[in-house]
Amino acid sequence: MRLHKGVLHAMIFVAGMITSSPLLASETTDRFVFVGYGDVKYESADVADTDAFSARFVPIFLFSLNDKMHVEAELEFGLDENGETETELEYADIHYFLNDNTTLTAGKFLLPFGQFSANWHPSWINRSIWTPGVYGAHGSSQAMDPLLPILSDVGVAAQQVYQVGSAKVFVDVFMTNGPRSEAAHDEEEIEDDHDDLIARFFAPSAAADPDSEEDGHGEAFPEVEFEATSSDNNSNKAFGGRLAIALLPSIEIGTSYYQGAYDEQGQLDITANGFDINFISTHAIIRGEYIKTETDSFVERDHEQTIDSFSRNGWFLQGTFFVGHAFQSLGSTELVLEYAETNKIEEAERWMVGVNYWLDPRSVIKVGYEDTDVVEGPDDTRFAVQFSYGF
Amino acid sequence: MNKKLIICALITFISLPNLADDETTLSGAELINNNCARCHNSRPVREFSISEWRVIMPHMREKAHLTGSEVKAILEFMEIASSPAQPVEVTLAKSLTVNPRDVLTRYGCQGCHQVQGVGGSLGPALDDVIEGKGEAFFIKKVKEPQFNNAASAMPQMPITDEEIAALVDYLNSL
Repeated sequence: MRLHKGVLHAMIFVAGMITSSPLLASETTDRFVFVGYGDVKYESADVADTDAFSARFVPIFLFSLNDKMHVEAELEFGLDENGETETELEYADIHYFLNDNTTLTAGKFLLPFGQFSANWHPSWINRSIWTPGVYGAHGSSQAMDPLLPILSDVGVAAQQVYQVGSAKVFVDVFMTNGPRSEAAHDEEEIEDDHDDLIARFFAPSAAADPDSEEDGHGEAFPEVEFEATSSDNNSNKAFGGRLAIALLPSIEIGTSYYQGAYDEQGQLDITANGFDINFISTHAIIRGEYIKTETDSFVERDHEQTIDSFSRNGWFLQGTFFVGHAFQSLGSTELVLEYAETNKIEEAERWMVGVNYWLDPRSVIKVGYEDTDVVEGPDDTRFAVQFSYGF
Repeated sequence: MNKKLIICALITFISLPNLADDETTLSGAELINNNCARCHNSRPVREFSISEWRVIMPHMREKAHLTGSEVKAILEFMEIASSPAQPVEVTLAKSLTVNPRDVLTRYGCQGCHQVQGVGGSLGPALDDVIEGKGEAFFIKKVKEPQFNNAASAMPQMPITDEEIAALVDYLNSL
């Protein structure tokens, strides 16, 4: 989505006026806060043959209507390669705190599937410069085909928190508009637009035989699109959730589920199962997720059309080591290592190594290098330096 | 049928009672230790005013799966951490009245640090900190928490010189 520059400037000016005006601040200070994050990046990418700086600004608007209701919205502003301003509504929702441990949410919200989308995606929080390959680009093109490139969707959600002894149990459920089938893109668009929230699940055309595609690497299959809209191409809503147990402050383990029909008749489902782990210690943080997807598709066998499923899976594991704790002269330096792979269809694997230096608790300079090995396609290497800040 | 099942599951889910009392047994400092670093560095308490934190914390309540009572405890701790230090006239008589255990409790030190095996893990244990790094380091760290590590989440507490002296004596005695 592109926004006229004049409109963008007006929005930023109004936001600035609201947050800087002493008169308004004194009257609204208990209700409204303007926070967010942003980043500036230099990236040199091999396959895309790019070598450029880029920048994003991601304001978050918070309103407390009263003790029970809270409104939040996050916008993302960036520049595309043509100099046009791109803007995206990451989320805009209202929370209703039903009681001490139950929260209801309505609007466009971050999907509680795994932890990356809901919690780790902001660039000042993500220890890597890049998004894990299993989740797609989100502001950074990449060589791996994502398994579940969904960050947020429109619908309703409920969250429940239980204290069970010394452990906490988190339960999240949601119902959203869900995915839809994507009409065939022309090849050029598919090649170039990695930022689209499109998953190539390789649901085959009617003539395809899934048995012949077990090794994957098919082509010209319809795609499934996840980009959130205020419409739905069928009456079946996507639903799912996450169940997690946390032994704080050290470990959180969760399992997630997602199911949604993507064709207009509501006959073809996409189902995803996930497992995530977050281990925190004084000297390191280990984060990882595993995702398995099953995508239905019509196939023709003996002149009869049946529904078959195609399976993909993938995972990533990221380790952040506070080397400054071992060598005090390194101060707030971190070493980051990440491995990711996708299997069965569009197989690929990626190594990433990075060094982060924190200027303060919310500002970090990251230097990273990643090497992606794609089984059927060009391999990719990237080098980037990113300055991320939360405010 | 599918929709009815989903609605029934939602109603059941929301109706389930919490298995614990509403009031959290953890201090605000412990809750910060336990929850913030799950995703990001803890932000300095003084980065925002208390009235701003009151708007930010409901946002974090949903993101970090906090309960309402936990948010309340965190805000109470933030109020202590962000209040200005009250200058105390240091006298021998007064220094004798400062109980270091009370100081540890008041500023939530054990929310992030262990003392004699009790406390959080966000920061290092305090038992040997003076022996290992010296009294001057300890005093400077308490007064200027980010002096040796820009990413340190330790808040600058409104702690008095008298209270610091009491902590030094106490930690030296361990």
